[in-house]
Amino acid sequence: MTGRAGREIPIGTIARRRRLVRPIRPVVPLVSCALVLLAWGLVAHNSGAGWVQAVGDVLAGILAVGLVAPAVVAGRAGLVIVEAPSDATSGLPVELVATSNTRLRVKPLHPPGPESFVGPHRTRAGAGSERHTIVDADTGVERAGAITLLPTHRGVHDRVVLELATAAPFGLLWWRKTVVVELPRLLHVGPRLGVPLPLPGGREDTAGGGVLDSSVQIGEPRGVRPYRPGDQRRWVHWPATAHSGELMVREMEGPTAEPVTLEVHLPAEAEAAERMAERAMATVVALVDRGASVLLGTTEDGGPRTGVVGDRRSAGRRLARAVAEGSTPSRR
Amino acid sequence: MSLFDAVKRANRPGPPEHSITLRVACAGAVITGIAACRAEGELSWTVAGGSIVLVVVGMVLAYRTREHPLPWIKLILAVSAVAAFVWFFRQLTGQTLYDVSTVENPLAVLFVWVQVAHAFDVPARRDLSFSLAGSASLMAVAAAQAIDLAFGVYVVVWLAFGLAGLLAMWSSASEGGRLRPRGVLATLAAVVVTGTVVLAVLPAPHVAGRIDFPSAAGPGSELPVPGALAGDDGKVAQLAKPGTSAGATRVGGFLGFSDRLDTALRGALGNTVVMRVRADRPSYWIGETFDDWDGASWNQTRAPHSSLRLDEDSPFILPGPGSPPGNAQADLQTFYVVQSSPNLVFHADTAHEVWFPTHDLFVSDSDSIVSPIGLGPGAIYTVESYVHTPTAQQLRAAPGTGAVPASIRVPDTELPHPYARAAALARSVTAHQAGTYDKVESLIGWIATHTHYSTDIPPLAPGQDTVDQFLFGSRTGFCEQISTALAVMLRSIGIPAREAVGYVPGPYDPITDLYDIQAKDAHAWVQVWFPGYGWQSFDPTAVVPLANPSPGSTLWHDATSTLGRLPWVAIGIVLALAFVVTLVVVVRRRRPRTWAEKAARSIEMAGRRARRRRRPDETLTEYAAAIDAWAGDRSGTWQALAAVVEASAYGGRHPAPEEHRRILASMRALRAQQARPGVLVGPGLRRDGAPGRRRSSSPPRGAGGRPSADGDD
Repeated sequence: MTGRAGREIPIGTIARRRRLVRPIRPVVPLVSCALVLLAWGLVAHNSGAGWVQAVGDVLAGILAVGLVAPAVVAGRAGLVIVEAPSDATSGLPVELVATSNTRLRVKPLHPPGPESFVGPHRTRAGAGSERHTIVDADTGVERAGAITLLPTHRGVHDRVVLELATAAPFGLLWWRKTVVVELPRLLHVGPRLGVPLPLPGGREDTAGGGVLDSSVQIGEPRGVRPYRPGDQRRWVHWPATAHSGELMVREMEGPTAEPVTLEVHLPAEAEAAERMAERAMATVVALVDRGASVLLGTTEDGGPRTGVVGDRRSAGRRLARAVAEGSTPSRR
Repeated sequence: MSLFDAVKRANRPGPPEHSITLRVACAGAVITGIAACRAEGELSWTVAGGSIVLVVVGMVLAYRTREHPLPWIKLILAVSAVAAFVWFFRQLTGQTLYDVSTVENPLAVLFVWVQVAHAFDVPARRDLSFSLAGSASLMAVAAAQAIDLAFGVYVVVWLAFGLAGLLAMWSSASEGGRLRPRGVLATLAAVVVTGTVVLAVLPAPHVAGRIDFPSAAGPGSELPVPGALAGDDGKVAQLAKPGTSAGATRVGGFLGFSDRLDTALRGALGNTVVMRVRADRPSYWIGETFDDWDGASWNQTRAPHSSLRLDEDSPFILPGPGSPPGNAQADLQTFYVVQSSPNLVFHADTAHEVWFPTHDLFVSDSDSIVSPIGLGPGAIYTVESYVHTPTAQQLRAAPGTGAVPASIRVPDTELPHPYARAAALARSVTAHQAGTYDKVESLIGWIATHTHYSTDIPPLAPGQDTVDQFLFGSRTGFCEQISTALAVMLRSIGIPAREAVGYVPGPYDPITDLYDIQAKDAHAWVQVWFPGYGWQSFDPTAVVPLANPSPGSTLWHDATSTLGRLPWVAIGIVLALAFVVTLVVVVRRRRPRTWAEKAARSIEMAGRRARRRRRPDETLTEYAAAIDAWAGDRSGTWQALAAVVEASAYGGRHPAPEEHRRILASMRALRAQQARPGVLVGPGLRRDGAPGRRRSSSPPRGAGGRPSADGDD
């Protein structure tokens, strides 16, 4: 279903879960309330004091509402993700902006992530401009209601599985339910950078020192590009930098040589495939940083695919979609 | 995880609580509980005032040191808590612990002490929740002493603070979540409804056997003549003022209980609550009995001032059977005096034990119990009676008047004169009855069918006999005339009878579980002697309910009687009109007002048929494009319509009249086609808004005129 290269979540499990509103650690609150009401009732009833029983009735009403109302609120809770990036890296946080119809504690289950609070939002007009800002309706904080995902594996996600919890109105007992929420756009989670393969022509560090450049600019200048870590200071194009306000370096056209072909054949075992993808990512990034042209061959759901990748983003997307050869296409 | 680790984890200090609202609400709830205890007399003004000040100081100090609680505070608080418990147990030492009322005042002080100490150490939310819960215990202790509805004010205030505190707790737990006003109202309504349902479902509280026997002296002082009847002012005198004889009805004064019952007096007994009674069951609560009739007044041949004296401490054990006879049931009654009253100890027949706050108590041979102190507001006493109600069969089987002892026959069958007519009447009514019980029932039946009840009767002329005037004159009277007539008729045929006066149960309050005895509940009835069973009460004018009504049935009865009195026809007409008006307003509001809104609704309806919901970030054009894609319509019919709508709504580019008419025609055709199942695509528009290839049978209308602002077709 989700994360075509990630772990599979049984649809039936989620379909069942999303209908169930269930309490979180209910034993202590329920037993405590029951004991309190029982003791109160015994004393009230046997003392003959009507007001003690009346106050106990009020207390029973409060406890009943506090224990049961969250189930109603949770059952009616709804959440929509309004903003989401399209690219991410495994192991790094991804922030989604969401809004809900009531204050909820959200815990991402797939991909996993830390708990956060999401509530209703409203728009607030910017001062002196027509730009409107989304603010949390309860706290007034701008763009609150962020859900942070920490994907542990690469993959492509069109929806996320979240656990919504609430204890409104009194905070006596939390109730939760699991929902599947669609993302406004596909989220490609690329692999993190692993250990790259030995590069052709790359110089290794020799014993005894010396700085070895890991990348050499060759060829004719063909333009400028933003600075990437690893670029040398002498490549900085100062006029372009002054004009754009961002550090820009000269991009040299690579030698007219054959592009480097990198064939990625992922194993069937998920963890091994992840490690392989990480190595592939690191290798592609290293090659691209050296100015080489990389022809990346992977297997996707639709079959083998080979194409040029010119930057980290496209490499991440390709590897996010990559699957083991012969694997069953995952469903969206 | 071991138990020790679990306990350690449970007692781990929580994060500091920054919500001022929560702290104010918790402090308010605790202060309300203290005030309630003070209102019920469980705390002195000094203790209550000082506690309130200390709670406020503690809460402020705890707030200011919430990030770094003072380490020595906990030690001081622990020592003070131990000191509180030591003081509490010392208070109980020497008390007679059969009576829980002796525990309640020290208990209230203990709870307040604990709350005050706790207020100084509430850095986290969990600590504040303990304060909130502790306020409930204060309210419970105060509620144990509350006997009237005025306590409801404290309950409402405490509820308000409690709910505010709980809502603030949720806001803190959810990092700023707030309930909307509608949610707050719904929560409040749910709490009230649930509490009311629980109140209605639960049975009435029942005083357990030996737990609660309250008694208090109130402001009354010792009377100068021990054993004599007196008012609260301590004067041993005629309590019932005879009123002015010059008046038309000789009204005036109050018909208090006295050493004589003058049936010539008339008065207006109002709704003033004179006392409240907590009892297992409603009963006739006897004040005194009279055995000497002189034609206009009842008197006592056995005066209370010469009665038996008990030199004991509570409880007083009255002379009588040591154990409940036969099928007698114990009935525990507690009387809370509200108005100044004569020093009579009211009780259900037959009183066995009395808890009274004096060392002396006087009991007369006529079963009157007289207090040595005046009884004013605040006086409380408890009586346990053996209520023995033999069945009609048992009374029929009782021996006849021949077995009546002389001590009963002599005073209780005597009449001031032969009452020839009354005696003849009695003999004729009871001619066919053999036993005493049947004779009594026959006479009661005759009275019920031949007389009328009214408190508005003419005064008794001087020298006139009450019974003769009632039976052979107006045949109208109230309890005194009716019961006197019955007693006289019974005596005339040799059956011992006497007059009893007291109170009948007033309205029952399901909240306080008390009977509110009003002045107008004063009543007179007849007691008849049955050998083997003693004095049995008969009342031709009052009906006593069978058992304590449950709060639910009382509420239901009150609700249905109130609902029954409402003008339902008028209400129904008003509700119907309001419904119609509301329906019209809602329908008009929902109707799309412009052609653009109609068009947008058409697109959304098409989307519903395609089971494709519009996402929040999706524009109308994008949504329409998705519908076209779903329907396989490459001409983009819906998308074209959406584009025209958006251009008009957001771009201010209204279509030309000709185009407007084509759009309306297309929408009509689309709606007609939507009526057919499975059809999504219809004739209409190209992407530029011009008419496309027609697919419907009805051609679009011709051009002409500008589109109206309402855009109806």
